[in-house]
Amino acid sequence: MTEDRLSSTFAALADPTRRAILERLVSGEATVTELAEPFTMSLPAISKHLKVLERAGLVSRSRTAQWRPCRLEAGPLGDVAEWAERYRAFWEGGFDRLDDHLREIQEGSKP
Amino acid sequence: MTDAPLRTRERELAITRDFDAPRELVFQAWTDPAQLAGWYGPRGFSTPRSKIDMDVRPGGAWSACMVRDDDGFECLSSGVYREVSAPERLVFTWAIEPEPGVAGEESVVTIVFADLGVKTRMTFTQSGFVTDGERRNVEGGWTDALAKLAERMEK
Repeated sequence: MTEDRLSSTFAALADPTRRAILERLVSGEATVTELAEPFTMSLPAISKHLKVLERAGLVSRSRTAQWRPCRLEAGPLGDVAEWAERYRAFWEGGFDRLDDHLREIQEGSKP
Repeated sequence: MTDAPLRTRERELAITRDFDAPRELVFQAWTDPAQLAGWYGPRGFSTPRSKIDMDVRPGGAWSACMVRDDDGFECLSSGVYREVSAPERLVFTWAIEPEPGVAGEESVVTIVFADLGVKTRMTFTQSGFVTDGERRNVEGGWTDALAKLAERMEK
């Protein structure tokens, strides 16, 4: 994967709506209308998100069918997931304990 | 094995967490070694107070050695503070040694502590570069949402 591709993958994943769209596409192809359903967003707004995902290579759209269903493309995700998720798991284990730790010291400081 | 490490790539991870504690306290949990010892490290590891050194000021060095609970395996993490603005912002470099004495991939950690009254919102960002050579040294097995997503997609 090229650097540019990786940056665009990151940019694409940085948005919660786009991550939700990817989650939805895990269960299969969907049209723009279907993808827009769970959101309080206009179709053009969803289309804009889809274009970002397409540029990042995370989503492809059928050229043949008139309704042009969207499909998930796995390739770019593995690479990004590898780095970020390795560290996410590292920190989240600690942050769970930090949560407990903060609770404990506050209880301890009470008279 | 020859391993010419070469290409570097930019990476970023962001985690936001809310804690039921005033932000002074959350900030201290990062900057007071006695408190850091109470939580720092991944699951299955502990970081004893005796293995933490921190010179909390811009340019000051820090190190914290994490010890695996199962077998005592030690893993050193270290870096240098870049910005210390109590209680709202902390920036430092962060690296873990892949093996003793070998410099690990350095990344930059930025933490912003937002005061939400009785709660504190901690926004944690880690960004860095990684070489292809280093990537191959990394232990696998740590996965979560996105990695699982990628996995499901490959099936």
